[in-house]
Amino acid sequence: MLPEVGYGALLVAFLVAVYGILSSLMAVWRNSATWLRSALSAMRLTWPLITASLACLLILLVQGDFQVSYVYNTTSRSMPLYLKLTALWGGQAGSLLFWGWLMAGFASLAALRNWERDRELLPWVIVVTLTTLAFFVGMVLFSADSNPFVRFWQNRSGQPLAPAMFRSADMLPLVPWDGRGLSPLLRHPGMIMHPPMLYLGFVSFVIPYAFAMAALITGRNDVRWIRITRRWTLVAWLFLSLGLVLGMRWAYDVLGWGGYWGWDPVEVAALNPWLSGTAFLHSVMLQEKRGLFKRWNVFLIAITYGLVIYGTFLTRSGVFSSVHAFAQSDLGPAFFVFIAVMAIASLGLIFYRWEALRSEGQLTALFSRETVFLLNNFVFMSILAVCFWGINYPLLSELVTGQKVTMGPPFYESTVGPLLALLFLLMGIAPLTAWGRSTWKMLRRSVWRPALLAFLLVVALFLGGVRQPGALLGFGLAALVGFVTVYEYGRAAWMRHRTQGESALLALWQLAVRNRRRYGGYLIHLGVVLMSLGVIGIEFFQSETQGLLRPGESLEVAGYRLTYRSLAQFDVPDGRNVTRAVVGVEKNGRFLGEVYPRRDYYYEAQQPMTIPGLRSTMEDDVYVILVSWQPITEDGATFKVYHNPLVNWLWVGALVFLVGSLVAIWPESGNVVKSA
Amino acid sequence: MQTEQPSTKQRQGVSPWMMGGAFLLLAGFLVFIWLGLQRAQAGPAVVGQPAPDFELTTFDGQTLRSEELRGKVIVLNFWASWCDPCAEEAAFLEQAWQRYVRREDVIFVGVAYVDSETEAKRYLAQHQVSYPNGPDLRTVISQAYRIRGVPETYVIDKNGRLTYIKIGPFVSVQEIVQVVDAALQ
Repeated sequence: MLPEVGYGALLVAFLVAVYGILSSLMAVWRNSATWLRSALSAMRLTWPLITASLACLLILLVQGDFQVSYVYNTTSRSMPLYLKLTALWGGQAGSLLFWGWLMAGFASLAALRNWERDRELLPWVIVVTLTTLAFFVGMVLFSADSNPFVRFWQNRSGQPLAPAMFRSADMLPLVPWDGRGLSPLLRHPGMIMHPPMLYLGFVSFVIPYAFAMAALITGRNDVRWIRITRRWTLVAWLFLSLGLVLGMRWAYDVLGWGGYWGWDPVEVAALNPWLSGTAFLHSVMLQEKRGLFKRWNVFLIAITYGLVIYGTFLTRSGVFSSVHAFAQSDLGPAFFVFIAVMAIASLGLIFYRWEALRSEGQLTALFSRETVFLLNNFVFMSILAVCFWGINYPLLSELVTGQKVTMGPPFYESTVGPLLALLFLLMGIAPLTAWGRSTWKMLRRSVWRPALLAFLLVVALFLGGVRQPGALLGFGLAALVGFVTVYEYGRAAWMRHRTQGESALLALWQLAVRNRRRYGGYLIHLGVVLMSLGVIGIEFFQSETQGLLRPGESLEVAGYRLTYRSLAQFDVPDGRNVTRAVVGVEKNGRFLGEVYPRRDYYYEAQQPMTIPGLRSTMEDDVYVILVSWQPITEDGATFKVYHNPLVNWLWVGALVFLVGSLVAIWPESGNVVKSA
Repeated sequence: MQTEQPSTKQRQGVSPWMMGGAFLLLAGFLVFIWLGLQRAQAGPAVVGQPAPDFELTTFDGQTLRSEELRGKVIVLNFWASWCDPCAEEAAFLEQAWQRYVRREDVIFVGVAYVDSETEAKRYLAQHQVSYPNGPDLRTVISQAYRIRGVPETYVIDKNGRLTYIKIGPFVSVQEIVQVVDAALQ
């Protein structure tokens, strides 16, 4: 019953979406407010309908109805409840439905806003949003591989038949006793948040894209579509950023290679829209303030959304090989058609409005905030070009030579590294430049203090023993950006303190409240600086060792001495058998504490989990793994140890980044004068 | 609905060269991904057809190449430590392997699909698997065979042709022996 209800609700949602598209077109054709209201209601209705469908799938997953092929393939009896729920995005079909549900949520939310001022945009926003939604829901409904409600059947003599949605005569249900279960790599609390955040980021870009296309179609080429979607874009971008960071944390905790980013093609495919989205967030400011780069902004949002769809296509069509990729499916051709239509329509519309999208102002000086932003966009797009090439080259080489070449971390690190350095330099300069016209003299006057501090820091690091040029350059640039940002913020607060007599804290608060976008942006920059410390730490200073130890013996890594003390094996009431080693950590002869790497064996699930013993400080992480494929006895066990300097700053920086984004997103209160 | 009339002046804006170039670039890109898709969609794993080539570095560091295994019947088994049905058939596979272990013309090869090395090695030790096994790095082999899940087993004859595909676990040693013997003939 539940599969039929779930499928039925989804089918109705699809029909409602198609109806919404048609009635929107009718509204334009007949210039009719009634048709438009009807289309708007349709858009609002999609979310409750898909919610009903999703609820059916969740109940099936939790109940463990293994006749349903998706439930059989992603869950098993022994899985705990939270994993059965996360199985929703553990496979192709469920995650597509989940994707559609999120998109419908955003569409309904957009439908609820006050449309009085923007009535002419509305029908086209509905058409673009619902077309995308209908496409995704249609794939779930009509593709044999992606329908999560398909069930197993057998004939009367017990022969299994091909899985099918509906039962016909002579078919009997075939209910396997247990399911295949979820990959243990996905059995981690990080997987509860990482995919939904990433999907939220991907999906919510549909709203700014729809507005941009609506503006092109209607010829409303002013800054209105950007103003309306500014917050949407920031929210989308924030979710995408969080999704990426949570993925990094998951990799760090689960994959057990002591790193957080592997340049896996799917990771890069998710990074691509983030890069163009970040370029967009910077370049829209030029259009808002100076009427510049209208064409470029429309192009950027179209490219960003295109990259979201293209990344999804590569991951789900079986074109990619990656641990992230879903198995083969029949979605490829449908996705291809969607991408082609979207790309041709977007490009065609941009050319159609080419002349109307001419910049209102001009770049007035060779050196100004505008030109620095332009360079910033150029660098972001260069990084994007490298990443785009990196994921497409293997496909190209396979087509031409028949050999699949993979682009590994060395390719990305050697090309992206220098571009990142340039980006940091621009981040350091940009806050000190003026709109319209800036002079080198002005820059020199404001930059010399932060630059001197950064230089002194580099000298101190050199004297302290840091010799790698790359690391010194990285630290120097990060310090420059950090000092400039703090200096700018501090200088403005000092001015308020002087002129308005506010206390230092109040002045800082008032600044942030009065110009959320700018100071939120500064906080984001600071977050990036802190994150870069973690990146530099791992890239240049990570070390590791491994060894078989008897009790009392030690391993040494990066000045730490790790001594294997004892081992205990015991059962705990929640059904685990825990093998727990006690490892003493010393540095320079001083005892710092103990870490407890474990191997937990889940009896019911017959699943071992390796849990690192972590001594985590702001200076470094000592990451100890009990190597469990070797025998672990009281007489000896093998340990793998990583020393990861500064890695915690990555997560601290991410938090600052999050706070900064929230400051920028938070709506301005009505009585505050908006200033740039 | 207020719509701006696209005047002829507006259309003069873009040079035809630029527009043509942009659309040509887009068309080229679409052709490229279409070809990539065709390749990915082509189903090479068909009984009677040549089996896709593979190269596997085992957990012991030995490299196995399918072309170097010509002249042997290959039993290529995809599994994962997290997969319960795989654990059910592991003993059958090992017992079947023991029947052929002294013959030169049969080899069993295990491919660990989406697994961590730690867990995979534990699984092999637990089930006392003695035939060569290795991780499917970047899921290249499982993509070439277009597997839909684990366990799946592909039997390849001495000439490199696929003779049998098993989706799901084997339920007895006899079942495995039958298909290997059939491939040997």
